Amino acid sequence: MASPCQVLSRADRSIAQKQLELAAAEAWRIEAKYSRYLRGNIVDRINSALGNAVSLDEETANLVDFTATLYELSAGRFDITSGVLREVWTFDGSDRIPAEKRVAAVLDRVGWHKALWQRPLLSLAPGMQVDFGGVGKEYAADRAAALAASQSDAPCLVNFGGDIVAAAATVDEASWRVGIESLSAGAGEACKRIDLQRGGLATSGDARRFLLRNGVRYGHLLNPLTGWPVVNAPRSVTVAADTCTQAGMLSTLAMLMGADAEKFLESQSVRNWCIR
Amino acid sequence: MAVTDGSPGRRAPANGASAQIASQLAVATCSLLGIAASSLVLAEEQPEWEFDTALLYYGEDGERVQDLSLNILARRLFADDRILSIGLAVDSLTGASPNGAVPQDEPQTFTRPSGDSVYAVAAGEFPLDDTFLDTRYALTASWQQPLGRDFAGTAGVSFSTEYDYTHAGANFALSRDFNKRNTTVSLGLAIARDELDTVGGAPVPLSPMAGVGDLSGRAGSESKDVLDVLLGVTQVISEKFVVQLNYSLSDSSGYLNDPYKILSVVDPLSGGPVDRLLLPGAEGPLHEYRFESRPDKRTKHSLFGQGKYFVEGKVLDVSYRYMTDDWGIDSHTLESKLNWPLSDSTFIEPHIRFYTQSEADFYRVSLLDGEPVPQFASADYRLGNFDSLTAGLKYGWRTGGGNDFAMRLEYYRQDGEVPEDQLIGNQDQSSLYPDLDAIIFNFSFGFDF
Amino acid sequence: MTRIRAGLLCMLAIASGSACSSMGVEPWERDVLAREQMQLVTDPLEAGIDDHIYFSKEASSGGRGFGGGGCGCN
Repeated sequence: MASPCQVLSRADRSIAQKQLELAAAEAWRIEAKYSRYLRGNIVDRINSALGNAVSLDEETANLVDFTATLYELSAGRFDITSGVLREVWTFDGSDRIPAEKRVAAVLDRVGWHKALWQRPLLSLAPGMQVDFGGVGKEYAADRAAALAASQSDAPCLVNFGGDIVAAAATVDEASWRVGIESLSAGAGEACKRIDLQRGGLATSGDARRFLLRNGVRYGHLLNPLTGWPVVNAPRSVTVAADTCTQAGMLSTLAMLMGADAEKFLESQSVRNWCIR
Repeated sequence: MAVTDGSPGRRAPANGASAQIASQLAVATCSLLGIAASSLVLAEEQPEWEFDTALLYYGEDGERVQDLSLNILARRLFADDRILSIGLAVDSLTGASPNGAVPQDEPQTFTRPSGDSVYAVAAGEFPLDDTFLDTRYALTASWQQPLGRDFAGTAGVSFSTEYDYTHAGANFALSRDFNKRNTTVSLGLAIARDELDTVGGAPVPLSPMAGVGDLSGRAGSESKDVLDVLLGVTQVISEKFVVQLNYSLSDSSGYLNDPYKILSVVDPLSGGPVDRLLLPGAEGPLHEYRFESRPDKRTKHSLFGQGKYFVEGKVLDVSYRYMTDDWGIDSHTLESKLNWPLSDSTFIEPHIRFYTQSEADFYRVSLLDGEPVPQFASADYRLGNFDSLTAGLKYGWRTGGGNDFAMRLEYYRQDGEVPEDQLIGNQDQSSLYPDLDAIIFNFSFGFDF
Repeated sequence: MTRIRAGLLCMLAIASGSACSSMGVEPWERDVLAREQMQLVTDPLEAGIDDHIYFSKEASSGGRGFGGGGCGCN
């Protein structure tokens, strides 16, 4: 996941230790299973199937069902096959924007509707790739938090690089204080503080990965329908929801809505904080 | 290069951007995670406004000073750690204060500060002046913000007014963090200008207390300037222990006398009062008294250290302050509090404070008849040699709505004595000193929104 | 004055010593220090009230911060 992960617990030391071990083990398990960098895991098998159907295990099938639903709900904006666009887009802070022709060529290999999904069999068209990166970290946070919470009634918080779950709290418990990173003051400085007692918190933003050309800033979130970065998205969107997965999906969807991000979140009646 | 969002010709599924994406997402997530849905999301942005209010009762025994005050502190938090604080206090003071004269075996009479009338004190009683019924209003405001990555700055103003005294001041502070914020160094500066508009006019120092209607020994209004400098270091020692060390310098100049305080002129052999000539029909003091006189400059140095230690859920706070000044006063203050949580929402906090000070060089319990009047002299018990003790208990609770309440009851006692070399005949060291017994009761309420 | 000088030197030694040393905690170890009761001044209103009382009744003031003042307390 390439992010610092932490587990905060108000339980006794020995229980907290167990909670940490369970959370870490779950995080590593999910990372190993769904990382696109590892050979031999399910993602690798799907991506190198060359048009053949691959039979998915229960957990992976659930994830695919979930992302398929998201594809429908977002009118195609959330698409796990959009990862190949990485071949033409490198968000390293430089001004190297790819040519339209190159983007169009890669775009031919993007589109969930081009995949054939009939549980438990998934087959991709040649050249297509799936990537669970858009949902993996939040999913891992929720799973890890559930395992940690199973060990104790005391409040605990799981933070996987900004994807946060606060579990096992009652209304009277003191909150966890979460800071949303400030975009201007530099890493480590919070510009908004949220008291989180229970629920999931996730942030989508372009703070670190972007391109800058002619004064126009291109965030790293690509619209799978056009192949180009989303225009006029907020610099950062944070959403609080029942689970981190929901929070993460809503913040991603909001960013994908570009200029309509705030309106979208308003209409969904979720607690959110957008920074433009 | 044109960048557009959503292009025609690409087949997109039926429009799913309806208003209920969130609920459909919730259903999908529940089946993904294998959990039941819950709508309990408790995430709130840190409140913008924080209010602290306190009602204070301070009461000395006997007919001495009683103070009732209402205090409000409002803080508004802005993004990026910027804070605006506004404070308001209203004090209502009644009761009497020792005027500096010593008790005698005969009744004594004094002219009120206004010069309009007299007040009398029975034999053996400590002379108290009960002229002061006063209401004081005070306002403070300050702004705090980070300056760059490591620095933070504060700037503020303070203002107060009562019927014979006004104060206006400004303060600035700069602090810098080092060492992963484990060390903080601060530098602060405060300046103030106070104006005294004494009832009847500020008395000429060491002039005799005159009779009713005689304001010849009075001047007009006076002022004093104060400069404070503070240098401090805060250091995190461990996960549970933090300490602070401050050095401060305070420089006052101008009219530093207490315009209402006097000294008795006494017989050098018996210690008894010296009669004053009082014409028939005239009203005024029966005996000789002189108004006090203090130097017009005072420089104070203080060294203050504090440590807070967390142990088993309780926090122990211990602090010590040493003060010395060029008036010859040295003081030591040792204070400790223990914050003891009784439950998740309640706590008690016992508090104890020891204080001792030595008398000012020019502290005189009384002036001797016939001796040359010294340049400076004051019988104000607050410049004398005394020990004091404060002992109290605070009980606090937090309600479900996140509001904080607290009640605090404290006992404050001062015990002083007159320097031995100033005693005359059979006078006793401590009976000449107006000891103080006071109760402090404080009710506080804090809320934010 | 020599006592003050000694105190100042002592303070500077601690300050410079601590700035150089690795005394302290990592940012993720600050959970206890972040608690309200561990702040150096837990209740600024109460501190201000007490400072004012002792300023009126004693000859010393401040030390912790700028000690109140500004009143014609008799």
